Amino acid sequence: MSIEGNTRRHFLGGLAGSFGGLALSDLLAREGVVSVPHHPPKAKRMIQLFMAGAASHVDLFDYKPQLEKERGQQWDPGESVELFQSSPGVSQPSYWEFKRYGASGKALSEPVSPLGKHVDDIAFVHNVVGQTGVHSQGTLLQTTGFNRPGFPSAGSWVSYGLGTENENLPSYVVLPDHRGFASNGVKNWSSMFLPADHQGTVIRPGDKTPINDLYRPDSISQETDVESLRLLQSLNHQHARERLGDSRLTARIRSYELAAQMQLSATEALDVSREPQYIKDLYGLALEGPGVDDTKINRKAEAEFFGRKCLIARRLLERGVRFVQIFSGNENGFPRRNWDSHEDVKRDHGPLANGMAIGTAGLIEDLKQRGMLEDTLILWTTEFGRMPCAQRGTGRDHNPFVFTNWLCGGGVKGGTYGESDQWGYKPLDPANSTQVYDIHATLLHLLGIDHERLTVRHNSIDRRLTDVHGHVIREMV
Amino acid sequence: MRRWFAIFLLPLASGIVAAESHPALDVLEKNCIECHNAVDKKGGISLQQAPLEIDDVTLILEAVSGDEPGMPPKRDPLSAGDVALLKNWIEQGAEIPESRVLKDTRMVDRKWWSLAPLVAPDVPKVGGTRARNEIDRFVISKLEEKGLSLSEEADPRTLIRRLTYDLTGLPPTPAEIADFLKSSQVDADLAYQKLVDRLLASPRYGEQWARHWLDVARYGETHGYDKDKARFNAWPYRDYVIRSFNDDKAWTRFVQEQVAGDTLWPGDPDGIVALGFIAAGPWDYIAHTEVGEGKIDGRIAKHLDRDDMISAVFNAFMSTTVQCAQCHNHKFDPVSMGDYYRLHAVFAGVDRNDRVYDLDPKITKQKIGLEIEIAGLEQKLKALDKAVEQKGGNELLELRTQISELEALSKTAIKKVAAHGYHSQIVKSRNTEKWIQLELPERSDIESVRLIGAYDDYAGIGSGFGFPLRFRVEASDDPSFVKNVVVLADYTSADFSNPGTVPVEMQGGSSRFYRVTATRLAERKNDYIFALAEVELVGADGKNHAVKAEVTSLDSIESGIRWGRKNLIDGKYTTWDDPRLPERLAVAKTKLSAILESLAEPSKRDALEEGLTSAKQKLVSLPKGKMVYSLATDFKPKSQFKPTGGKMRAINLLNRGDVTSPGETMAPGVPALWAGSTSIFELPENHSEGERRAALARYLVDPDNPLLWRSAVNRIWLGHFGRGIVDSPNDFGRMGMTPTHPELLDWLATRFRETESVKDMHRLMVMSSTYRQVSTNDPDKSAIDGSNAYYWRRSRRKLRAEEIRDAILSVAGVLDLKMGGPSFQDFTFKDDHTPKYWYHLHDPADPDTHRRTIYRLIARSQTQPFLTTLDCADPSQMVAKRDETTTALQALAMMNNPFVIEMSQNVSKRVDSLDEAVELALGRPVSDTEREQLSRVLNREGMPAVARILFNLNEFSYVD
Repeated sequence: MSIEGNTRRHFLGGLAGSFGGLALSDLLAREGVVSVPHHPPKAKRMIQLFMAGAASHVDLFDYKPQLEKERGQQWDPGESVELFQSSPGVSQPSYWEFKRYGASGKALSEPVSPLGKHVDDIAFVHNVVGQTGVHSQGTLLQTTGFNRPGFPSAGSWVSYGLGTENENLPSYVVLPDHRGFASNGVKNWSSMFLPADHQGTVIRPGDKTPINDLYRPDSISQETDVESLRLLQSLNHQHARERLGDSRLTARIRSYELAAQMQLSATEALDVSREPQYIKDLYGLALEGPGVDDTKINRKAEAEFFGRKCLIARRLLERGVRFVQIFSGNENGFPRRNWDSHEDVKRDHGPLANGMAIGTAGLIEDLKQRGMLEDTLILWTTEFGRMPCAQRGTGRDHNPFVFTNWLCGGGVKGGTYGESDQWGYKPLDPANSTQVYDIHATLLHLLGIDHERLTVRHNSIDRRLTDVHGHVIREMV
Repeated sequence: MRRWFAIFLLPLASGIVAAESHPALDVLEKNCIECHNAVDKKGGISLQQAPLEIDDVTLILEAVSGDEPGMPPKRDPLSAGDVALLKNWIEQGAEIPESRVLKDTRMVDRKWWSLAPLVAPDVPKVGGTRARNEIDRFVISKLEEKGLSLSEEADPRTLIRRLTYDLTGLPPTPAEIADFLKSSQVDADLAYQKLVDRLLASPRYGEQWARHWLDVARYGETHGYDKDKARFNAWPYRDYVIRSFNDDKAWTRFVQEQVAGDTLWPGDPDGIVALGFIAAGPWDYIAHTEVGEGKIDGRIAKHLDRDDMISAVFNAFMSTTVQCAQCHNHKFDPVSMGDYYRLHAVFAGVDRNDRVYDLDPKITKQKIGLEIEIAGLEQKLKALDKAVEQKGGNELLELRTQISELEALSKTAIKKVAAHGYHSQIVKSRNTEKWIQLELPERSDIESVRLIGAYDDYAGIGSGFGFPLRFRVEASDDPSFVKNVVVLADYTSADFSNPGTVPVEMQGGSSRFYRVTATRLAERKNDYIFALAEVELVGADGKNHAVKAEVTSLDSIESGIRWGRKNLIDGKYTTWDDPRLPERLAVAKTKLSAILESLAEPSKRDALEEGLTSAKQKLVSLPKGKMVYSLATDFKPKSQFKPTGGKMRAINLLNRGDVTSPGETMAPGVPALWAGSTSIFELPENHSEGERRAALARYLVDPDNPLLWRSAVNRIWLGHFGRGIVDSPNDFGRMGMTPTHPELLDWLATRFRETESVKDMHRLMVMSSTYRQVSTNDPDKSAIDGSNAYYWRRSRRKLRAEEIRDAILSVAGVLDLKMGGPSFQDFTFKDDHTPKYWYHLHDPADPDTHRRTIYRLIARSQTQPFLTTLDCADPSQMVAKRDETTTALQALAMMNNPFVIEMSQNVSKRVDSLDEAVELALGRPVSDTEREQLSRVLNREGMPAVARILFNLNEFSYVD
C-alpha cells in the first residue's frame, strides 16, 4: 500500500505529544513503507559499483574467441548497425588475453584477473540490454530505472524502503570519482519525489570537508561551537515548549543532536589510517595515498583511487550505512578519465579496469573474512557496453544492445545467467534478454523488498523503481 | 502468448452472430478494455475488434469467474451479477454484433469532480462576525460540520511577520514592525489592509511568487543530462514571470503567452520570452546535437523532448497527467493514447534554442538567414580543404609528418636568446607601413643585406615572429629616404613566404642609410606587427658593419631586454643545435604551400571566402538583438541539431511508446476534457507551426475549461496555506487527491475566471479570518483534525530554502535588491567539454552573489549544495509542492556552511547590541532570559557567534 507522501507527512506533522525516543528516520523518513520487508531478506545492505562512460564487456568479462578468428576482417553481423559515433569497423578481439579461473573455469581478461580468486562467487549476466546508446540516458536507466531525469535512484528507493541502521550516518552514501561526477551529475543519486533525506550523500574521503559542512569553520573555536549548540538547543526547547503539538520542532532539535554525532561517527568511519597495512595492501592503496601521480592514466593510481573508495565503503557498511554507490570515472572530457574509450581502449580501460578489479577483489575478500559478504550485496554495472568492432583502430563505440552486469554476495549464487551472442553484440537469445528492471527487481528481492509493492504515488502513477516491468532472476537468488 | 489463459481452455460452441447489442458487452467494455484493447492486446486478446472472437470472450469469462478470479488484476472482482450476465450471454450463444466495436469507456467518462462544469456555488450563510469574506464562510461551514471552529486571531507582531514572508519572501524590518504595531493600535483592520496593499505593491512580491511558479515550470539554467551546458540566456523568462506577477497580468494572457505568445502577439517581445516556459525543462545535448534525428536514439530524444513539453503544459495549467497515456490509454482519466500523440503533433515543429526576442521579425529572419549562410560557406571551405588533403594523398601526409617532426625538434633542440630583437607597435590593420633604419657612421660598400626573423612563442608562432608579408629594402644617403633612393629588394607586390629564422639575403649598396619598410604586416593574435631579430650589413671584408650603426624606426616597443631597436644589431638571434634546421623547415613549408596551392582551386576558394566575408560583414551591420532560451524553428544548425524551418515533423502514434513501432499519423489536437471541446484542431490546410500552439492556447483558456481556473487558484491557496484544497496540485485526476473544500475551490475558481487577477486572489485569501488565526495547537481540535485539513488554526510554516538564504542576507544587511538581468553564479564556472560548476571554490563574501536567490544560475547536474540540503526544488522535475524534511545534514549546513558563517560576520558589522540582533532576526524584542544566555556568548566570542545561533533557531526557520 502506498500513501500520497504529503498527506502522511501532514498527519505526522500534526501528531500531538512529544517526539520521545523515536528515531527521526522512523517518523519522518520512512512513512508509507510500513510493510517492508515483504519477505525475509538475504542481504541487509548493498554497494553499487558504477563504471561511468560504458565499460567494455568483451575486454573484461565476456570472452569472445570468435572475434579472435575474425580479427582484422570487416565485422559483419548480417544486419545494418546504427552506432553512436561511427560505422562498424573490423572485428576486434579483446585487447587482453583471457584466462580461466575458479572451479567454474570462468574466463577473465588480464586487467580484471584479480577477481579470478572470487569468480565462483560472482553471478555474471552477459545479456543485459539497454535502451539507447546515449550516456546520459543509459546512466539514468541504470541508476534510476528510467532513461530521463525525474526519478529517484535505486539507492534512494532502498534507503526509503529499509531506512538506516545508524542514524549518525546517512543511509545512502555516494563516493563519486574525485575527478568529477558522471553523466547527469547529482541526478544519479537524487531522491526526486521521495523525501529528500533519501538522496545520496556525497562523501569525498580525504577531503578537508568529506561531507558538506561537516565541521565547524576555522573561525569558530571548539569551545564556542559546543557552547553555541548547547545554547541553541536550550532556546529551541523553550520555543517548542511554547508551541506544543508540532513534532517538526522537536524533530529539528533532535537533528542537531544527530548532526553532532555524525561529526564524530563520520570522522571515525572515514579514517582509514588505523587500518592495518595488510588491509590497505588488500585494497591496493598506494604509499603516496590519494596524492598519487595520475598526470598520465596509470594502474597504480587507479587502484589507489578505487581501492580507497572500496575500503571506505566497507567501513560505512559495517557501521550501518544501507546503500553505497561508488563511481569509477568522471564526466566526458579530456584527458579521458572514464570508460568511454572511443579513442583507445588499451590506454584507458587497462588502468581503470585493473584498479577497479584490485579494489573490488579486496573488498570481496575483506567482506568474506568479516563474514559480511553473505548479507552484503555487490552490483557491478555501467551504462552500456562497447562494440565488438573497432573504432578508428584502437577504440570501441557504444553497445547498448548487450552488455554485462554482475552481482556478488548478499545471497547471490555464482554462475552465468544469460549469454551474449558469438561477438558480444546482442543477447544470444533476444527473446530472453535481461533488462535493468530485472536486475533492480532482483536486488530489491534480495533486500527483502517486493519490487511491485514498494511504490509511491506521484502525478497519478504509483511509481516504483522497476516502472511496470521487472522479473526477479529466480535462479540467481 | 496466452499463458495465463491456458488452464481455462474449454470446448465451446461457436458464437451466433447477431445485430443486437447485449448488456454483457457493457460489462466487457467497463471492465476489460483497459488491457484487452486494440493497442495493448494483453494476453493476445483484443476486445476492440468486430466481430468479437468467441474464444476470447469465453477465456475472459473463465478468468473473471470463480472464488479467486485471476482477472481483473489488482482490482475488485466483477460483481456476481456481471459475471452471471456474461455467463448467460455466452451460454445462450453469445450474440455478438457485427459492427459494434467496444469502446474504452474511461475515455469518455467525465464523471469526476475536476471535470464537472465550473459554476459558482452558493455561499453558506454562516460565520457571523468572524467571517470577513466568502472564504471564511466556506471554511467555517466545514468546520462546524466537523465540530470545529476557528481559533483566535494572531497578534499584530505575528501577523506582519507571517504576511511579509508570505507575500515577499523576506522578514519585515524592525521599522516596518514598529509602524504596523502603532497603526494597529489605532485601527487593526485598516492597518492590516494597508499592510497587504503595501506588500502586494512591492516588487519583492513578484520575486517571491515567481519562485512558486518557477518550481512548477521546472525552470533551470543548464541543459542537464550529459555535458551539462549552461543556458546563459534563460533568465529573461525568469524576469518575465516576476514582471507578470508584479503587473498582475491577466491569467489567460499569462497562460497563452507561455504556450504561443509569438503567434498570438507577434512583435511583442514577451510573446517570445514567455515561451521560455516550454523550453525550461532539461534537454539532452548529446542526443540532439551529436546523435540527431537520423538515428533511433536521436528520435527517442525528440520524443522525450516533446513529452516534457506537453507534460509541462498539462500538469502546470490543467493539473492533468497526460504523460500517463504514452504507452496505453490513461488508466484512470479520459486521456487516450491518441490524445497524447495529438499533443505531440502540436509541438512537432519546434525545438528549444536561443532566440532573438526584441527585434523586428524581418531583421531576425535576415540574421538567421545570414547565420545559416555563413555556416554553409564554412562547411564548404572545410570540404574544399578536405578535398585538397585527399588529392595530396601520401605525399602531403608525409610532408606534414616531416614538418611536425621538424617543428617538434625546433622547439626542443633550440638555443633561445633573451634579446629577441625589434618589435613595432601593434596595429589593427595588416596594411600598415612600418620601417626600421640603420645609419652607418659613413658611406660604406655593403655586399649584402641579411634579415633574420625573430623567434617568440607568443600565440604559438615561434620562428619568423613578426616577419613582414610584404616589404622592401632600400639604401640612400638621404636619411628621410626621399631623394636618391636605391631599391635593393622589393617584395611589395606579393606575399613573401615566412622564412622563419633563416636569413633572407639581398644585394647591398654603397650608401650610408639602409631601410627596411614593411608594407603588409605579420599577424600576431588578431592584430599586426613588424618584428625582426637582426639586420646584418655585410661588407666586402666579410664583416658585419651593422654593429656600428645607429638604429631608428617609425615606432618601437622598447620593453626591457626582450624587445628594443638596439637588439637588431646585437648579433644575438635564436639558433638551433642543427643550424640547418630552420632552413629545412622553411623548405618543407614552402613545398607544402606550393603543393596546397597546386591542388586547391583558388578561384573556388576565393569566391567562397569572399562570400563568407561579405555575409559576415552584413551580419555585423545588423542590430544584435537580445536572446532568450525559448522555442525556435529557425536557428544556426549545430551539428546534428537542425532547425525545422517551421516544417512540422511527422508524428505517429507509437505503439507501447516505442519509436521503432510507429502507428497511424497524428493530427494536432487535445484531449476533449469537457463537453463542447473537440480532440482534433480545426486548422487550415497550410497552417503554420505557431497556429498549432495557438490552438492549444485557446483551448486552455476556453471559459468552459473546468480545469484551468481550479488548478490556478489551488496553487495560490497552497502558497498561502501550506496545502492545496486539492493536495495533489499537478493531478486533479482520479489518482490524485480530492478537494477538502470543493465548493470553496469552485467559488474561488469562478471568481478568478471573472477577474483573472492573481492579486485579487491573494487579497481574498490573506484578508480572511482563516488566514489570520493563531498557529497554536488545541489538543481537542487536534484530536478531530490532526493535520489541520479544515483550517481550525494557522499551520506553522517552515521557510523554504530561498527564503532562508534571502532572510539571512537581509538580516546581515547585505542583501542587494537589484532586480533582473543575468543570473549570479555562486560557483566557479569553467566552460569545459563538460562544464564545471564548482560551488566549493565560491567565496560567499562576493557581493555579486548577495542578490535574492531567485536570481541565481540554477545548474541541473550540480545543484547548489546548501539550498539542495534545505529541500530546494529540483529543476529536473515539476515541483508542485516542496518536500519538507528535517535532517542532520540540514543542521550541519545551517551551522557550518561558509555562507552562514560569512553572514554572521556581517551581522556583527551591522548591529551594536543583542537587542538589535534579535529584533532583526526574529522580529521581536529579546527576552530577559535570552539576553542573559546570549550575553555570555557575546562577551566571550562576539556577535558573529550570536548571529550564528540566531540563524539556527527554530524560530528563525518556522513562521507562526
